[in-house]
Amino acid sequence: MVRTTFRHWRASIGQYLLLIAIVAVGVGAFNGIRQASRAASANFGLFNEAVSGRSDFIIESPSQRISEDTLSALGSLASYPDWHLVPVVEGSITALDEKGEPTGQLRLVGLDLLSLANLPYVAKRPIEFAEEESTWHEWLGSEKDVWLGRGTANKLNAKKGQRISILASGRVKEIFVRKILDDRDLSVSDDLVIADISTAQGLLSRKGEINRVEVVLERAELREDTEYLNGIGNRISSLLPEGLSVGPTKNRAVDRAAMTAAFRLNLTVLSLIAVLVGGYLILQALDAAVVRKREETAILRSLGVNGRILFLTGILEAVAIGILGSLAGILVGHFLAFGAVGMFAETVNALYFATSIEAISLTWKDCATGLLLGFLFSLVAGWLPARDAMQTPPAQILSKGDWSPGFLWLRNPRFGLSLIVFGALALLLPTLSIQGGSRMPIGGFLAAGAWILGSALLSGQILVCLAKFCHGFCQSPVSRLATSRLMDGSSRHRLAVAGLVVAVGMVTGMFQMVDSFRSTIQEWFDVRFQAELYVSERGVTGAGSVNGIDPALLDELLLDKSIDYADVMYVCHAKAAQGITLLAGVDFDAWTGFVRQIWLKPPGTIRPSSGAEPALVSEAFARRFDVLEGGTVELDTPKGPKLVSPIGIFSDYGNEFGTAAIAIDSWKEWTGADRPINASLYLADGSELEETKQRLRLSYPGLDVRNARELRDVALGIFEQTFKATSALNAIGLAVAFVGLLLGLFSIFDESASTWSTLRHLGFSPVQFVLSAGFEGAGIAVASLAGGTLSGLAMGWLLIFVVNVQSFGWTLLWKVPLADFLIFGLLMVLVGFLSGCLSAIHWSRRKT
Amino acid sequence: MKITILILFFLPALLNGEWIEPFTRTAEGLPVPYSDYKPVFPRDHGSHRGYGIEWWYWVGHLTEKGGEEKFGFQSTVFRLAGDPQEARKPAFGNFGNRQLYMAHTALSDLNGEKYLHRDRILREGWQASASDRTLSLKVGGIEAVMLDGGTGHRLKCGFLGDDLLELELVPKKPLVRFGDNGLSRKGNGRSSVSWYWSYTRLQAKGKLRYEGKEVEVSGSAWMDHEISSSQLGDDLEGWDWTCIQLADDTEVKAYRLRRKDGRSDPWSAVYWIDEHGKTERVYGNNFSWIVERTWTSPSTGLKYPTTVRIEAIRPDRGKVVYRLSPIIENQEFIGKIKSNAYWEGACRVSDDQGRTVGKAYLELAGYAGDLGARLN
Repeated sequence: MVRTTFRHWRASIGQYLLLIAIVAVGVGAFNGIRQASRAASANFGLFNEAVSGRSDFIIESPSQRISEDTLSALGSLASYPDWHLVPVVEGSITALDEKGEPTGQLRLVGLDLLSLANLPYVAKRPIEFAEEESTWHEWLGSEKDVWLGRGTANKLNAKKGQRISILASGRVKEIFVRKILDDRDLSVSDDLVIADISTAQGLLSRKGEINRVEVVLERAELREDTEYLNGIGNRISSLLPEGLSVGPTKNRAVDRAAMTAAFRLNLTVLSLIAVLVGGYLILQALDAAVVRKREETAILRSLGVNGRILFLTGILEAVAIGILGSLAGILVGHFLAFGAVGMFAETVNALYFATSIEAISLTWKDCATGLLLGFLFSLVAGWLPARDAMQTPPAQILSKGDWSPGFLWLRNPRFGLSLIVFGALALLLPTLSIQGGSRMPIGGFLAAGAWILGSALLSGQILVCLAKFCHGFCQSPVSRLATSRLMDGSSRHRLAVAGLVVAVGMVTGMFQMVDSFRSTIQEWFDVRFQAELYVSERGVTGAGSVNGIDPALLDELLLDKSIDYADVMYVCHAKAAQGITLLAGVDFDAWTGFVRQIWLKPPGTIRPSSGAEPALVSEAFARRFDVLEGGTVELDTPKGPKLVSPIGIFSDYGNEFGTAAIAIDSWKEWTGADRPINASLYLADGSELEETKQRLRLSYPGLDVRNARELRDVALGIFEQTFKATSALNAIGLAVAFVGLLLGLFSIFDESASTWSTLRHLGFSPVQFVLSAGFEGAGIAVASLAGGTLSGLAMGWLLIFVVNVQSFGWTLLWKVPLADFLIFGLLMVLVGFLSGCLSAIHWSRRKT
Repeated sequence: MKITILILFFLPALLNGEWIEPFTRTAEGLPVPYSDYKPVFPRDHGSHRGYGIEWWYWVGHLTEKGGEEKFGFQSTVFRLAGDPQEARKPAFGNFGNRQLYMAHTALSDLNGEKYLHRDRILREGWQASASDRTLSLKVGGIEAVMLDGGTGHRLKCGFLGDDLLELELVPKKPLVRFGDNGLSRKGNGRSSVSWYWSYTRLQAKGKLRYEGKEVEVSGSAWMDHEISSSQLGDDLEGWDWTCIQLADDTEVKAYRLRRKDGRSDPWSAVYWIDEHGKTERVYGNNFSWIVERTWTSPSTGLKYPTTVRIEAIRPDRGKVVYRLSPIIENQEFIGKIKSNAYWEGACRVSDDQGRTVGKAYLELAGYAGDLGARLN
């Protein structure tokens, strides 16, 4: 049996290698995305660990900012020998080139470089910050001295002793490269700039402030001992001043993973589609092989070979392809992860938190999952052709004409309709809560799967109906032949259409979601951003860079006589029971008055709860914390737990964690901070917009001063970034679907061999044959387009009104990009036609 | 010619341990302790920020109250000044750069033959501070303050696992100022002088939380406070030092300054402190420091002369012999910086007849590297 199975492999090794490659790509896409998203989003985000080693606990305040007064109160905690306290301050800075233009965002991490020497990790591999020990007082706490890893130095083309201009907290400053840390053991990321903590505070204009205190255990050998860790955690906790909390560093990775859970889930679903489409390709290719071997199989049947044996040979073939492909896929995925991780890290940086790429790791779990996935999909894909081979009639019967097995389930609309109904019912399912307060729209995903599959099963009926409709208009023998073959609606025709419908449904659904998102954001911008100018920190973008502007600098800017009013915004993280959210400080009178918003519920339509701070909350916040109709949410702040109660709900597409905006005075009191994140400037009557913008830019080179259009471009840039992965997967899915169409057409023509030969004898020319095949391919494409568009519209509706609302708390305006649909449709029909022609030419050459 | 003049100038001093006028400032611009300084306490128990190097040092032998357990302890806080122009200015902020502190703490479990030790290096600020008005130190787990009433100290040292030693140390004798004209000399360098003050016998009483058990302890301790800006002469690489508390209520301090060529420096010295705190001393050519046995550290591989015999001519009594032998061998202090490893431990003291005559702490420094270069 094994010999029978693999005999063909030698003859068509190229084709089988291609099949293995297809499985490899499918498994690779899944595994690669899994590894890359893990490396990009689930790290601890503690950039200092490259220098100080990984910590065991983190002491932090809910706002991620600790004043030095509080730090002084931690002095007695620092005296315990069981641990080392490592205060950290970090922020984003932007390097400037010689012309003063930003060249790239860097992460400045400030550490007490002297006391690092106490840490067990550093004691084992000391870091030489200077050639001479005795010069410590020259660089410790200096104004400008920084250390770069080799990667950062190369990126900036910087050398020891060089001075580099930077932007930090809205000001132009200078750093001095004291030394380049060349130690091979020191894996400093290529955007990291290390400075003494005091220097970093100065550069970031954040004197007297740190972000967190990390705790490193002296007895490193006990860092995995849960009982010991609990004891230490309790001891530290009992000694902490009010407003600070301590938690294991490992929890941070869990928290961060939870924040990106929805993002990673979406990627996983998309990558599974790649595997699904790969499985479809295997099915098509194995099916084509079965058709090619039909005569041989028929002879074997005539010689008395059992159908079960034939079935098993088919399955064995599929399993072999699956296993070999999966093994290759595991490797492909690992390499793919290296390519994709940068893209994912950018997205995580833009939307969630500051991250760096952790080493991409290939775990045993990854290997097992990949192997299982490839094996199962190949098995399922091989089952149908194997069953087909098993049903092949003996040679005597086959020789009487074309034969094709009938896949009843493809012809029976009941299966498809049942799936559509199942999908609709699935929508009634409640959402599933996942870690970090995110919610998974389980019903939405089930409905999407059921509807896509249902429409794929029903697509055969569409093909037949369309062919019948067109047949009446066809006069030429070529077109009549093509439509009559499509009218027959063989199982292979139906299979080809079904595969394409899945791909088209997916692609058109995504088209709608992306377009709806874009349109909604544009509309949101038009309503929300009515001020003339917007001021923020220059060169700093993304959620991972909540640095803020030096308050003194903004106060100075706001004295400009051209400014009539400034809507200054303050933002920090806040922790609720369900997970991290954002707490904003805004001019409450202005926000409930003339500052325009897209209101889901205008201010005043919800009554605030007594004893709680009135807040304007974003839709995502209201949905996430279930306060659409009012109520309270408890937020952890440095001043203890505080209650906020919504009085209005506005649309906000900036983040999925939700924002609660309270009055600035309360925000400052709760957080103990005073650094604004941005300001919207309304100019006085008679002020020249362009002149004011240029003047402010010149006076404040460390700040970005943009008008509304420029701001919109920046926001859309971030938005496009987030859909890069989606677009890439769309392209893979579509490409695979077209290859599937081509393979399907090969099988169809193979199966119709005797028909073609009869037609040739009747005078059908090769050109007519090729044209007819082209029309057949185009017909399949049109039917797929029709079925796929319908399922795509359903997908679009699902994604916008179910998945987005339930997952992210965003209501989007549904936009159907008709022009994109049209171009895509034309392209598809053209590709279908060309595929038909190509497969016919290829088939003819093979037969002659 | 100049060299000849210098040799002629220093020769009598080298031979007799006589007076060398110190510079007023080191080459780096740090002030050098000057002669005939009259310290004012408690202010001078505090920090002398402008001077380059300063340390506060406590060692002692303790016994569990009503029990058999015996312990030795060591607590040292070092202060190193930064930029000479800035160092004397007051402390600022949580992350200062004017002073650097080191804390070394050790506990010798003499019955259990265990040696616990730890060290921290910290900048001045939230984790390390020393008052310049009185004794008030808080550095990496060591806290020392004056007791109410201004006589004696309260010392607190933490160890791993929440172990803690808390002692009240009350002087039994007045403070001793070592050296000539109030200056203790450590080599030929004109700046190699220090103010060196000691409480040679402190009554120690307090509690020790050790291995989860808290016991009351009492015993006897020694405290040094030394201030300089250039601790060792250029040609020195380390020292062997001891403080001995004899059963007859007198004390001996002896040190051998080791030169790079292996010989003892003439400025090595032995001091005798009588029952009233009066001191007598002899310099290097009047005593010998004989190594009887060495111990090789299994951790660092360093070889320490842990058993020594000191033979000296005491001006009022003639020849005396003190044999120091460690109560437990492994009392090697391996800090975060391996090249700073030294041996510092509790010893018993016997006379030439082998009779136990007292207790001592012995310090063997500079065996891991050139200490002179660091303390210059």
